[in-house]
Amino acid sequence: MNQNQSSNTIQNPKPQNEPQVKGPEMNDRDRVNDILALEKYLTDSFNVSAREASHAQLHQDIMTVLNETHQCQYELYQLMFRKGYYKLEAEEQTKLDQTYRQFSDYSTQFPYSGTVVQ
Amino acid sequence: MQQQQTAGQQQPVFPQPPQVITTKDHLYLKDQLSWELLAAKKCRHFANECTDPEIRQAIDKAGQMHQRHYELLLKHLKNNNAQQMQAVNQAQQQ
Repeated sequence: MNQNQSSNTIQNPKPQNEPQVKGPEMNDRDRVNDILALEKYLTDSFNVSAREASHAQLHQDIMTVLNETHQCQYELYQLMFRKGYYKLEAEEQTKLDQTYRQFSDYSTQFPYSGTVVQ
Repeated sequence: MQQQQTAGQQQPVFPQPPQVITTKDHLYLKDQLSWELLAAKKCRHFANECTDPEIRQAIDKAGQMHQRHYELLLKHLKNNNAQQMQAVNQAQQQ
């Protein structure tokens, strides 16, 4: 985690064995990226299937598949983050605060009075 | 499949969809099985090409999940539609 105080970026160091100059052949990073894209595509597809299923048992099994595919997708992302493939950038505190205030003020528009019971 | 009494013959009310694979379910299942099989094959192929053992293991894990999902979904094609529809038709003729 090479995050110094003034920086807003979060990124891990890249793995040593990654080639500096990349050729036309697929490397490990390309492969895991491609599988991540595959999992993302499958979550979309199974989401559509789940809401079209007719009876309860079929719906339940498709929901299980959907849920596990999401989990798999996120695990791959976490692995890729650990390998330094992702650079995250933190939003500025002042901007967050401003939006928080804006949407807190919208609570006057709530259609339900008092605290909503869970 | 109960609650009549009034006015003699009335259509029964199904409390929920019966355990029947519909034509639409069938089409979706065929698609889903094709996606899962391709995904499993692709993961196996890519995992074998990986040099980083951690990446290799993660991709293999995904591939095994897809094969498991294939088997889970395949079971629904063994649904006894004939028997289910017999029960449905009997209820509808009462």
